[in-house]
Amino acid sequence: MGISATELAEAPVGAAEAPEGKKLAGRSPTQIALQRLRQDKLAVVCFGIVVFLVLCGIFAPVICNLLNIYPTAATIPYDPSEVLDFSTGLPLQGPPNHGFWAQHPLGMAPQTAVDNLARLLYGLRTSLFVATAATVFSTLIGVVLGLVAGFSRGWMDRIIMFVTDLFLSFPFILGALAMAPIIVSHFAKPGQLGTLSKVQLFSLIGILVVFTWMPLCRLIRGQVLSLREREFVQAAQVMGVPTRRILFKELLPNLVAPIVVATSLSLPAFVTAEAGLSYLGIGITGIPTLGQTIFDAQSWWEVYPLYLWAPVLTITVLVLALNLLGDSIRDAFDPRTRR
Amino acid sequence: MRFKSPLIAISAVGVLALSACGGSGSSSGTAGNETQNNNELGNTGNGQDPTAKGPVTIAGAKKGGIVTVLTLTGLTTTLDPSEIYYTDTSSIMSGLVTRSLTQYKYDPKTKQMILVPDLATDLGTHNDNYTQWKFTIRSGVKWGENGQPITAKDVAFGMVRCMDSTTFPTGACPYYSNAYFKGGSSYKGMYTDPGSKFKGIKVSGDTITINMAKPFPDMPYWGTFPANGPVPSDKKVSDPKTYKKHPWSTGPYMIKSFNQSKELVLEKNPYWDPATDPARTQYPDGYDFKLQQQSEKIDQIMLADTGTGQTTLTYDDLLAPDFTQMKQKAPDRLTLGGSPCTYYWAPDNRKITNKKVREALSWAYPYKNVILAGGLIPNVNAIPATNLMPPGLPGRTPYNVTGRQGFDTDPAKAKALLKSANATGYEIKFLFRTDDPVSVKGKDAIVKGLTEAGFKATPVPTTTANYVAARDNTTEDINVRSAGWCSDWPSGSTWLPTLFGSTNPDKTHSFGTNYTAFSNKGVDAQMDAIQKMPLEKQADAWNALDKQIATKYFPLFTTYYTGVAQAHGSKIMGDNDDNTLGMPTWKDIWVNQ
Repeated sequence: MGISATELAEAPVGAAEAPEGKKLAGRSPTQIALQRLRQDKLAVVCFGIVVFLVLCGIFAPVICNLLNIYPTAATIPYDPSEVLDFSTGLPLQGPPNHGFWAQHPLGMAPQTAVDNLARLLYGLRTSLFVATAATVFSTLIGVVLGLVAGFSRGWMDRIIMFVTDLFLSFPFILGALAMAPIIVSHFAKPGQLGTLSKVQLFSLIGILVVFTWMPLCRLIRGQVLSLREREFVQAAQVMGVPTRRILFKELLPNLVAPIVVATSLSLPAFVTAEAGLSYLGIGITGIPTLGQTIFDAQSWWEVYPLYLWAPVLTITVLVLALNLLGDSIRDAFDPRTRR
Repeated sequence: MRFKSPLIAISAVGVLALSACGGSGSSSGTAGNETQNNNELGNTGNGQDPTAKGPVTIAGAKKGGIVTVLTLTGLTTTLDPSEIYYTDTSSIMSGLVTRSLTQYKYDPKTKQMILVPDLATDLGTHNDNYTQWKFTIRSGVKWGENGQPITAKDVAFGMVRCMDSTTFPTGACPYYSNAYFKGGSSYKGMYTDPGSKFKGIKVSGDTITINMAKPFPDMPYWGTFPANGPVPSDKKVSDPKTYKKHPWSTGPYMIKSFNQSKELVLEKNPYWDPATDPARTQYPDGYDFKLQQQSEKIDQIMLADTGTGQTTLTYDDLLAPDFTQMKQKAPDRLTLGGSPCTYYWAPDNRKITNKKVREALSWAYPYKNVILAGGLIPNVNAIPATNLMPPGLPGRTPYNVTGRQGFDTDPAKAKALLKSANATGYEIKFLFRTDDPVSVKGKDAIVKGLTEAGFKATPVPTTTANYVAARDNTTEDINVRSAGWCSDWPSGSTWLPTLFGSTNPDKTHSFGTNYTAFSNKGVDAQMDAIQKMPLEKQADAWNALDKQIATKYFPLFTTYYTGVAQAHGSKIMGDNDDNTLGMPTWKDIWVNQ
């Protein structure tokens, strides 16, 4: 086996400060980065917020069951016309015109009488699911193609880079706008509404993945181009190590830092992209999302501010926390920033 | 007449950037409407004034200014006068650009539209049994585009031109000109069959004589349609492929530029002579229609009333929350009134053959929840409906076949009806638009209501762009269609033959305007008989037939009648509701500078 850069870097950085009575231990760059992260207060706070919101999303059904609130018009057990003012569409109880109402902590949506909190939680769930899935898949594609392109030289590299450029040049919003009606008309059959919303969900993830793997692919390729001329790689090649093994055992560990950084920064981008697409009506039918809620609430912003601000603030806090966390992760993984 | 075309998919590019002055936080006022009589929605101008003469002057009105008009619709339906049959294009063109035989004039005292002459010197003269009409075309009217005088021949050319139902398939002429004019039913049209000549219309000097195949007492009303106006007989100018982009002007304004879905700009027609026109005026310097604007944006501009917003008007209804605000803030800038339209759910009578199932559907439909979800304003633009024909139509007596009151829903009754029809769990398939939040919300409400009433609700997804095509597709896998219809003029003859005249969708692959696919030879014969009755007996006969159809067949159920809740800036004067179309009274508008 070749000596990987990771191991080379295992210089006893923290050795001098090692507490008494403990063995001197080598730490990998990842461990160093994690330690730095733990010391970063902002990062810890942001991590806490993200974990809280993720838990809210994951346990949305449980919370809604406990509070006896329902996220969609189809599931609410009461008749909207009985709890809403028929002439204004506003709830007869709770915000905005009446005080806090424990049964519906964030009030009811005008016109449909759906509970705002339930919709928010389920929207969070959808947004996080879409963002996570899109991040995982786009990272996988970007990393694999980047590795192959960077290492293979010649025609393979050229083909992959051509494809990358091709996708980069394709307008994202236009593609998304064009896909939505095609999907609807293809799956628009009576009695298949469940299928349609599933297809819409996964095609939304698909669209996000297809249009976002390219920057990571380029980044990885650039890294690989410089790494593959290093001695440990050449040594491995001389010893006849299979290419697959060189790619994943020699090169990949050296790319952990850029991948982690790219991933942590793309998560919030996907959350906003999903909200934006839902707002444009390219989203999902039948499943609540944050973007849809914001779209519905925009015409009520003056009469019923809470209806709009709840999802807007949630998405802002989520994206801000993810972004700051991503920044901290980048700082922690970057050997050039020593604090 | 078809209700103005449904909204076209709009990519919402703008963010919430428009600010309005902070309105009061609470809004618990009711949205009742004092200025509108909901019992007179369809009473749209029985008044006539054959002697009305130009020029029209409005006391205190000032010249100048540009009127900006904002709307969600894109004027994507044709502007060719021969084919116009939507309320928005019809109102704009006949109010400002194209003249026809007769026209409507707003009467501020009664808030009604009065039928007055336009290009004709009077409302026409007829023989005893209304089978021959004569119109004398006034002199001194010129084309805006070249200043040449308009002759009776140009008018007759326009009237014959529209009778080509192959070239102008969505127009109104097949229902009236082709149906009533002598030889009209067999006439193919000047473009489809260039060799044939239409003999029903004769011109001598400045007089046009129309011979009818059957009595047509409503000819002066039909004369208000842009289809019964002049079109240049120069084949190059009036080519149907290009004329719709720039129809020639005869009214006070002419088209400066027209960009479908974007903008329509009108400028003054220098050759228009006010002395020849008994209703139109030419106070503003021009009109600027900005098309496919977001509803939220329009409402905010109207509420803010600053800058050019003061000289802006919209013919879209305000959204419910904005209507409440406008009512508190500036009730004088609201334009309220009726429109002679009925919305209804049309079960496909070919598929839902059991009358009891259709009745059960009318009990199950969640009227209130659909209206709430749609952001409509109860008693302003959503009024409880019973008869197919809206209130105010001559001879109308309210009937109530099922005994359902107002917007009431009764799932238990629907269940009982379904059970007695042995059709519990009957599957109702209806369309909704996945990319239109209002449609999705309405769908949710309907599914919930129908399920509670023992139906099996199956919403069928489509997109806004494909919606009309899917609804009009006779073989689409749905069994209920949602539709709306407006009077062409206050008469049952514009309702029953158009909505219940026999069709054979399986063969012709088109519903025409009969979305229920209701076909009954006996009813056809009765309608034919009514059209041949003496005029004074017709109104009652139409209403009796309306009731009879509902009692005996119940082919459809009405969901609500509608009105307008439009707004205008503080410097726009004379913007009232033209209740024949539910559109602004363009002819009286001026800018107070």
